Amino acid sequence: MSTTTADPGAVRPPAALDVSSTPKVPFGRLASVELRKMLDTRAGFWLLVVSGLLLVAITGIVMAVVLANDLGISANGWVQVMTVPLSLLLPIFAITSVTAEWSQRTGLVSFTLEPHRLKIIGAKLAAVVLLVVATMVLAVALGALANLLYGALSGDDVVWNVDASQFFWTVANQLLYFLMAFGLAMLILSTPATIAIYYVVSLLLPFMVYSVVVVLVSWGADVIPWVDLGYAMAPLVGGGATGPGGVGLEVTGTTYAQVAVATLIWVVLPMVLGGRRVARAEIK
Amino acid sequence: MIRVENLTKSYGGFTAVDDVSFTAEAGRVTGFLGPNGAGKTTTMRVMTGLTPPTRGSVTIGGHRYADLPNPGRHVGVLLDASAQHAGRTGREVLALGARTMGLPTSRVDEMLALVSLDERESKRRIKNYSLGMRQRLGIAHALLGDPSVLILDEPANGLDPAGIRWMRGLLKSYADRGGAVLLSSHLLHEVEQIADEMILIGRGRIVAQGNKAELLAGQGALGTLVQAADNELLARALVGAGHEVAPAGAGLRVSAEPVVVGQAALAAQVALVDLRAAEGRGLEDLFLELTADTQREAPAATTVQGGTR
Repeated sequence: MSTTTADPGAVRPPAALDVSSTPKVPFGRLASVELRKMLDTRAGFWLLVVSGLLLVAITGIVMAVVLANDLGISANGWVQVMTVPLSLLLPIFAITSVTAEWSQRTGLVSFTLEPHRLKIIGAKLAAVVLLVVATMVLAVALGALANLLYGALSGDDVVWNVDASQFFWTVANQLLYFLMAFGLAMLILSTPATIAIYYVVSLLLPFMVYSVVVVLVSWGADVIPWVDLGYAMAPLVGGGATGPGGVGLEVTGTTYAQVAVATLIWVVLPMVLGGRRVARAEIK
Repeated sequence: MIRVENLTKSYGGFTAVDDVSFTAEAGRVTGFLGPNGAGKTTTMRVMTGLTPPTRGSVTIGGHRYADLPNPGRHVGVLLDASAQHAGRTGREVLALGARTMGLPTSRVDEMLALVSLDERESKRRIKNYSLGMRQRLGIAHALLGDPSVLILDEPANGLDPAGIRWMRGLLKSYADRGGAVLLSSHLLHEVEQIADEMILIGRGRIVAQGNKAELLAGQGALGTLVQAADNELLARALVGAGHEVAPAGAGLRVSAEPVVVGQAALAAQVALVDLRAAEGRGLEDLFLELTADTQREAPAATTVQGGTR
């Protein structure tokens, strides 16, 4: 027993708690608990399984299409392909990690075991980043395998052409979308609402609206990259290839400014405002 | 051990907790009693740092809750047994708690055994748990870190009679070993039998506190219930001696002690059938009366006369 009440001889137990010998909950332990909480529910399990299946399915489809049409694909191509299934469903982990504390009301327990809420948020963030990195490593490994397999099946030379800068931006892009999901989750604190808004902003708007605006409206190509992460980062991630909507893809100083502004809008702002909300909100 | 001082929590114009002060001592079970919406849960949420107070403070063993390092090792908290992820198993919930607090996994099995959740039940998902099972799991979670203070909100909710008796024994022995227990309830009978000390709250204010005897003593002299072979004759003799007499059931209620009434009967040569001190109104009447203006239903029995409960 870590407290002063263990003395059986005491007639009147002391009214003060001696906490001097109790260490605080270390951050690493909190992060490992948060990682486990992401994966230990049925929803978490199936999310991982489906993402894994998507990864394999897309590898298979791309392989078939490339072989059938004799298009040729390199390691770089595979990495680009592999990140797609990872960015489809996995951001839900980042969202529910935060919102479940409210939707499932587990916050009553989590925030009484560690009353410093931002420490828990930090632990969740660490768990999310770990998840992104782990899945990217998996994707790269799978991409390498697919590349070898492609070489064997097509008889072409295997091309290992992953560009360091391009790869860095691919990972950064992935990470920023997860952080955006995380920030929106803190701001909204509701699972269904956050998921809906996240997919509207990250998928629906870029593909259904911005792609049209960029082509049809004269100022579209100038404005959209400032307000959408995907368009802002397309020149860096695509490395000169074609981006969404076929916008100009040269990397200039403006590109970095656009990435910074879009990041400010969709990552920094939700994180700061959401963090404030979590720190102050009443846990019911 | 738990000290609440001038605690006030208001939401806009509504004051949920209004200048509440009390203590819950180590080695005792303190019952926190009040009708639904009286402010019990809000007070407990402030205690555990989940809700910021508008004014006032709460300390546990001299510390603010947020200043407790690894609070699960010092304070066991159960605020709502249903506030658990429906998709997790009972065992997993305890395992997460044990890991956060830095306890060995063997602690999980100990706690499961303590609250009588068997192997099969512990591997079921919480959405398939009855409220009673969730309550047991919640109590197991609160006790996980071997804390010296327990804060339990409506822990008996959903437990069957055997479960309530079990919990009573558990908390009693916990307090006997020196722990401080604060438990809330809206059911008087639950608390009456276990609490050493009771705090009655209604509409955010404390309306009475003390142990059972103290609470009842505040109700004034209670008189005597007497039944004689000839009530009328005895009544005349008692009124003649200056006592107030009122009919009560088959006998009389007299504003005097039993010995005085006995002597009067002896003098008047009336045979007595029944003579005893009136127990007066029970705790329940007191509780209903004190919290009357916060009740949704007007209690029917706030001014009981010849109650012989």
